[in-house]
Amino acid sequence: MTEYHRPTSRADALTALAEGGARARPLVGGTDLLVGLRHHHDVADVLVDLKGVTDLPEPIVVTDDGVRIGPTYTMGELVSHPVIGEWYPALVEAALTVGSVAIRNRASLVGNSCNASPAADTAPPLLVHGARVTISSQDGDRTASLDEFFLGPRRTLCGPGELVTRLDLPRPAPGSASAFRRLTRRRGVDLATVSVAAGVGPDGGLVVGMGAVGPRPLRTAVPGPVDLTDDASLDRALDELLGVATPITDVRGSREYRLATLRVLTKRAVLAAADRRDPREMAS
Amino acid sequence: MTSTARVPDHLDDDGLQTVTLTVNGSERTVAVPTHRTLLDGLRDEVGLPGTKSCCAEGECGACTVLLDGKSVNSCLVLCVEAEGHQVTTVEGLSDDGLTDLQEEFLNAGAVQCGFCIPGQVVSAEYLLRTNPEPDEVQIREALSGNLCRCAGYQRIVRAVQATAARRSER
Amino acid sequence: MTTAPERAIEQRDALGEPSDPYPQGQVGRPVLRYGGGDRTSGAQRFVADLRFPGSLQVALVTVPVGCADVLGIDTTAARAVPGVVDVVTAADLPSPMPRFGVSHTDRPVLADGRVNYHGEPVAAVVAKTLDAAQAAARAVRVDHRELPGVYTLDDALAPGAHRVQEPSLRPGHALADTNVLEEAHYAWGDLEAEEARTEVVVEETYTFPMVTHFPIEPGGTVAVPTDSGGLDVYSPVQHPYLLQRTLASVLGLPLNQVRVFAPDPGGGFGGKQNPKLEPLLAFLALRTRRTCRLVLSLEETFQSMRRAGCRIAARTGFTADGALTFHHVDADFLIGAYADVAPRVMGKGSYVAAGPYRIPGVRIDARAVMTNTTPSTAFRGFGSPQVSWALESQLDAGARRLGLDGLEIRRRNLVAKGEAFVRGESAAAADGEWHQSLEKAAELIGWGTPLPPGRGRGIAVGIKPGATSGLSQSLVRLLADGSAIVYAGTSDMGQGARTLWQQIVADELGAPLDQVSVVSGDTGTVPFDLQTSASRSTVFMGSAVLEACRDVRQRVLALYAESTGVPPEELEERPGVLVTPEGELPLPEAARTALGSLRGEFIGQGTRRLRGKGKHPLGGDAAFYEFNATAIEVEVDRETGELLLTRHVTVSDVGTELNPLQVVSQDEGAAIMGLGHSQMEQLLLDEHGRIRNLGALDYRIPTFKDVPVELVSAAVENHDGPGPYGSKGISEGALLCTAGALGAAVADAAGVVIRDLPLTPERVWAAIQAAEAAQ
Ligand code: FES
Ligand code: FES
Repeated sequence: MTEYHRPTSRADALTALAEGGARARPLVGGTDLLVGLRHHHDVADVLVDLKGVTDLPEPIVVTDDGVRIGPTYTMGELVSHPVIGEWYPALVEAALTVGSVAIRNRASLVGNSCNASPAADTAPPLLVHGARVTISSQDGDRTASLDEFFLGPRRTLCGPGELVTRLDLPRPAPGSASAFRRLTRRRGVDLATVSVAAGVGPDGGLVVGMGAVGPRPLRTAVPGPVDLTDDASLDRALDELLGVATPITDVRGSREYRLATLRVLTKRAVLAAADRRDPREMAS
Repeated sequence: MTSTARVPDHLDDDGLQTVTLTVNGSERTVAVPTHRTLLDGLRDEVGLPGTKSCCAEGECGACTVLLDGKSVNSCLVLCVEAEGHQVTTVEGLSDDGLTDLQEEFLNAGAVQCGFCIPGQVVSAEYLLRTNPEPDEVQIREALSGNLCRCAGYQRIVRAVQATAARRSER
Repeated sequence: MTTAPERAIEQRDALGEPSDPYPQGQVGRPVLRYGGGDRTSGAQRFVADLRFPGSLQVALVTVPVGCADVLGIDTTAARAVPGVVDVVTAADLPSPMPRFGVSHTDRPVLADGRVNYHGEPVAAVVAKTLDAAQAAARAVRVDHRELPGVYTLDDALAPGAHRVQEPSLRPGHALADTNVLEEAHYAWGDLEAEEARTEVVVEETYTFPMVTHFPIEPGGTVAVPTDSGGLDVYSPVQHPYLLQRTLASVLGLPLNQVRVFAPDPGGGFGGKQNPKLEPLLAFLALRTRRTCRLVLSLEETFQSMRRAGCRIAARTGFTADGALTFHHVDADFLIGAYADVAPRVMGKGSYVAAGPYRIPGVRIDARAVMTNTTPSTAFRGFGSPQVSWALESQLDAGARRLGLDGLEIRRRNLVAKGEAFVRGESAAAADGEWHQSLEKAAELIGWGTPLPPGRGRGIAVGIKPGATSGLSQSLVRLLADGSAIVYAGTSDMGQGARTLWQQIVADELGAPLDQVSVVSGDTGTVPFDLQTSASRSTVFMGSAVLEACRDVRQRVLALYAESTGVPPEELEERPGVLVTPEGELPLPEAARTALGSLRGEFIGQGTRRLRGKGKHPLGGDAAFYEFNATAIEVEVDRETGELLLTRHVTVSDVGTELNPLQVVSQDEGAAIMGLGHSQMEQLLLDEHGRIRNLGALDYRIPTFKDVPVELVSAAVENHDGPGPYGSKGISEGALLCTAGALGAAVADAAGVVIRDLPLTPERVWAAIQAAEAAQ
């Protein structure tokens, strides 16, 4: 018998998760969880629906320092939020590739991160934008960078009895910008063969988040300035940024193709991000 | 080699959950096991088979319904999650006869086998409610989660455009 | 404001379409789809929507490999699951295991000791609820030993390869000890002599992937035992009468004890033609004496239907001015574990392997090669898309060598109307002005006009033989108030057949369109129709309906004469009217007068029969050919291999458009489906013969966003078809040569020639890489 809990308080939610242990799953959008249950890939039999909890962090709070996102904030809400679009354009571009409109109306940003698919589309831009997560349990809260949070395929720091209650995105420094690119087998809704988000910092430094090219989403950075008008220096930066990628061959693409297109897409994303920088705010 | 699998233990009837939801404006109460999807609940328990099942994993859009006014894949929602919520299915888009959108589907030649059409109509209705004058690119984007193997895609785009035009004349 | 159908027609008029040839009537008009309202409102009932109170649910038990011996099946745990009524294995069925099939009687009702493809059921669970059935199915323990199954052409053709089929199933057959199920050979002319006058020879090998139908309705079957010991079976099949015959024969029942209800298929495309799991459901229902219901998952649908993959080695000669001299083809069709209709796909596809061209020397050797995979079956195009891919690519290869373009080489070789393109004993000649389609496609794509860098164009043509034999019977009842009911066994799976019957009857009997209804999908009430396949229905059933209407008119005339005393020779019947000495009477009025106060009705019968020819390799001459010209403009991203189709033009030779709106729907649909196998679709197997991309997540079909930026469907109408009002079948044309046109466009845009479908971004990228490395 699958147990279904619909707690109204954070404390009750954490209790249900703690009691359920390894067989318990928080449920928000369910867009991944239900697929896993259907195929019996996921053996969860305690479902803790967070949508009725009243004292979790708000879906979204914008401050001068950045944005805080709660566990029930959906992709659909995210893609139309004006501040997110202005501050984190790569995140909106990425979120728009997550499933269809109907999926995005249900899927949550935090849930997508917790699912820790190596190909999760929103992970690369969140990594680029320096996202941090707050992991809560009955014992209290701890925080981690998203880069630390991802451990491996579908494995994160969030263990049994724990719940990610908040995701923080710092406000980007003036003069920085981001962009997202991905490659799929068809133009319509598809899982990424390769995805990449790039950020260009105020000093011209580069940061890259990558999906589907390793056992987990990857983040690397090179300090600035990188002269993007010079092919050789951009190439050197790409060598440095992309060395961590270890894609595999699967039904979506071969290792070789992924490596080659990762470079192409990263370059495109870097240049697109650079194009987005406001020249009045650039440091150099 | 032997193939076996875990036998789920959710088969006893006392595991049924009572769910009260509003479907197409009327309150309905059903008793379902936790793992029952909203799709199956609507079709089998509520008795509204207009919503279709194909992939059962969020990839085809045949099962699209409005949940509190937003389009969702009902195969990816549990019935129990819909407790207290409003669901609109294809049957509930109009009280009587076809909607303008449904008429334009017919007019445009968008309806072939018809199996995907309830989902297409619901997705298109959601689009027009949220963006009354979509351009062609936006229509394609908004409906790209709804597969049509008869591939009436261009016809459906025309139907949505015609409906938008009709509604803007009103 | 104009309505959408008018716009669709205006759009076509702008393309130079002749306008409505029957200005007075319903035929030729964009009449809205019959039953369309129910299809948009959600009221249409597909098989899974039918309710059978108290029915039992069925779940299938399979093993996780493509080829295995079944050593034992332990059903103890499954039987213990609450709600389980029965668990049926091969041991519970008659011995020897009943088998069925359209071309070979080889398919067992349940796997008989040996699993021959992944997904083949070895047992079935019947339970009170679906949850119980599925849980019990997972609890069935199947002891099995995996065998070295053959999953590719090379595996299957290797010496000493595992034999898919028991030789005893083909006693005395020369190939019984091989994996080649059947061969087809066609040849004419003197290839050596032709080669001697050849300037350029192109020799290449092409592959076409296994693809699956992916109907959005996965389908299913419900079997209901009747009190008289027979069965009512509900299944969304294209051929209800074939299912009836198959069930009657495996069960040993007379035909009248098997009644097949065929709810409209939610997409068929050929995949729902032939019986698959229905015999199993029939046995389960008879055994349990209860209604048994199986609704398939999409994954199970993938495991029950697909198109044959194909490998084609072609050698083709051209003179210096681009005339084809010879074409030598070896085509191996990768079929599945049971024959289904695959040998015919191979035979009929390879029959047109030399295409619609004037080629003096041809040799075609084709084989249907069995593998331990999903049985391949009919699929829109029926073998033609495979051979067309190779031939059209060969033409472009020849053109490139000769400095001609894709249009010019086809102009020089395409046969004229009446000219033979298949020669020899079972010759075939062009039955349409095919050049017109080619020229129109060229014009609509802007052939020869300059393109921006990175873009290219390709053009290709394709043909497919229509039905080579057939029988359609129809009844039309003209009721006393002037309304009418048509009985026609054609399955309406999206093509809109019923709309055409409605249009025809409205014109022929003068009944208002909305007072003509159509009954189909019930072998108990509707007369025989052989099949809904090969785009035959307009021609075959359409003619039968037309004839039934004429029959009605003659009966009206006779009874009118009798009841009014007007001598019959002074009366004349014409479409919609009875001509009397006083003038024209609308037919319903004449009918009312004739029927008098007793009322009653007129019943007309129509039959269209095309007898096959015993010696013809296809069983007879095709009733018509579908001809299509497709032109595509594409932009290639050289760094990622992604394609953007900027324009796609399809022109079909349709004879007469009985309903232009439906022609456009079918044509666009076929074009996009063609892009599926050309760009993205392929079933991928692992080393155990399992489909790696089993399901919607990783088997990709075109979406809204994959539709070309501009998609233009046009038609050539010369009213030269054998169907009513000069019509031809039209539902397959636009996918026959999609791949060839796309391949040529990619070659033009990126300078790389790819011979393996689909042209995925990765394939295109790899070809560009290889070309750049070679430079
Ligand atoms: S059935 Fe729900 S998306 Fe396919
Ligand atoms: S109309 Fe047939 S799948 Fe869309």
